[in-house]
Amino acid sequence: MYKAILVAYDGSTAAAHAFHSALELAERLGSSLGVVSVAQLPEPPTMVETTAILDLAKTHYEKDFKRLRVDAKARAIELQTHVAVGHAADQIIHHSVEFKADLIVMGHRGGSRMKEWLLGSVSKRVLSYAPCSVLIVR
Amino acid sequence: MTHVWAQASLWLALALVATLLSIWFRIATALSEIVVGTVAQLVIGALVGTAALGANESWITFLSGTGAIVLTFLAGAELDPKVFRVKWKEATVVGLIAFFSPFFGCAAIARYVLHWGPQASWLCGIALSTTSVAVVYAVMLELGLNKTDFGKAILAACFINDLGTVIFLGLVFAPFTVRTLAFVVGCLVVFPLIFWLTPRFFRWYGDRPSELEAKYLLLLLFGMGAVAAWADSEAVLPAYLIGMVLAGTVGKNHLLVRRLRTLTFGLLTPFYFIRAGSLVSVPVLLATPLIFLVLLLAKMATKFVGVYPITRALGYVKQEGLYTTMLMSTGLTFGTISALFGLNHKIITQAQYSHVVATVIASAVIPTLIANAFFLPRYLLPRQSEGAPAAGESTASPVKSGQLNTISE
Repeated sequence: MYKAILVAYDGSTAAAHAFHSALELAERLGSSLGVVSVAQLPEPPTMVETTAILDLAKTHYEKDFKRLRVDAKARAIELQTHVAVGHAADQIIHHSVEFKADLIVMGHRGGSRMKEWLLGSVSKRVLSYAPCSVLIVR
Repeated sequence: MTHVWAQASLWLALALVATLLSIWFRIATALSEIVVGTVAQLVIGALVGTAALGANESWITFLSGTGAIVLTFLAGAELDPKVFRVKWKEATVVGLIAFFSPFFGCAAIARYVLHWGPQASWLCGIALSTTSVAVVYAVMLELGLNKTDFGKAILAACFINDLGTVIFLGLVFAPFTVRTLAFVVGCLVVFPLIFWLTPRFFRWYGDRPSELEAKYLLLLLFGMGAVAAWADSEAVLPAYLIGMVLAGTVGKNHLLVRRLRTLTFGLLTPFYFIRAGSLVSVPVLLATPLIFLVLLLAKMATKFVGVYPITRALGYVKQEGLYTTMLMSTGLTFGTISALFGLNHKIITQAQYSHVVATVIASAVIPTLIANAFFLPRYLLPRQSEGAPAAGESTASPVKSGQLNTISE
């Protein structure tokens, strides 16, 4: 049913839940599994801060990816990981197309109304614009 | 000392507020600190008096100046020598024109349209000649263009553009005496020497808790800064050049760069950017908004006149040319550094400084928005559909189902 599943992973507990749901689904359906994490840069970016954020994001997510790979290996699934740069929803959608995913799995963080009003909800944007099915894990 | 500690607390409280705002609103810390500095000066000035913030106290000026020097050094150290070696011809042509066109154009507009004095007009030309390497780099990363030849050439051109800005800032206002000659000769002797010595010195004595590397680099930056100031030049000029000279060695030492960033962001740059913001006069900006508009249009128009034809001459198609032109119309850090240099050396007035800084901030945001909305060369992006690429398209390989590319940095 789903040949390629992409998990949007931001290191939160909700994202970890989403990853494990996707792992289970991939095992049952024999799907390939990818994880994308997004390093968001400030606006407008400045040089030294940008490289600092990229450095930190790479180190932080690579550490998480190692753990996720172990979990995936235990179920005989080869995990592909990727750290993208840019706006979270844009990059998740862009990489779902690149991964040819037919399902995006992501966690729901439930941010405050104020934050949602100011910055918008990533999951809502992905739901609105994704070219494939989207599963929001609560 | 009570007064100094109290003032230091106030500045760090402002820095903390600025950092929280930058996290909440996902804006650059530098921009947040400039805005917090401007607002703090307005509020504290109205409540207690304009002297309360103490923006011109010697220790604040020192920390602020050190922030500018170390930040400029780190920016220079971001240069990728390999990319530059491959694309140096294209990068040099685009970079130099991207510098000279707004430099002369904005200076002429400041002189003949806004009727600023000759020195102030030159300073305005320098401050608005910059291109934000970071804005260009971020957009390239986001779109995956940083891996293409097009992206690499533009990034290298941005470094050349900023090099032009820093060199002119260091030399245009220098009196060209024997001291200037001594400074230039000093640079020519010191730079090859540190290129050879620094990696060896770090290998022999580095990687110890005594932080020898940081002390060595600060000695270099302060020492060359002192020589530059003695020659009536600007300390950020040798700092940027030292950064570029050491980009292939120190710049690759991620741990050292991280430690320097901690020092820079944790203590130094808050003083620099908050001070830069505190010197902006909001009443002046509100009273004469047209000057800001004229300067912003001048920067974008002169970048267009210079960069667009040369991109076409270099064989870029229309969309790529327009996109490059827009991205190269951005600027933030070096624009602010140039403006503050002008104010500190009484080359521009506080009103002129306020207009230049406001223009610099706007130029960091507006051209990127226009570029991404209207001129994005979509055909250069990594392919998302199967089939052979058409002529002029990216050579990025098609992706099979369930396959991700490697990390896009």
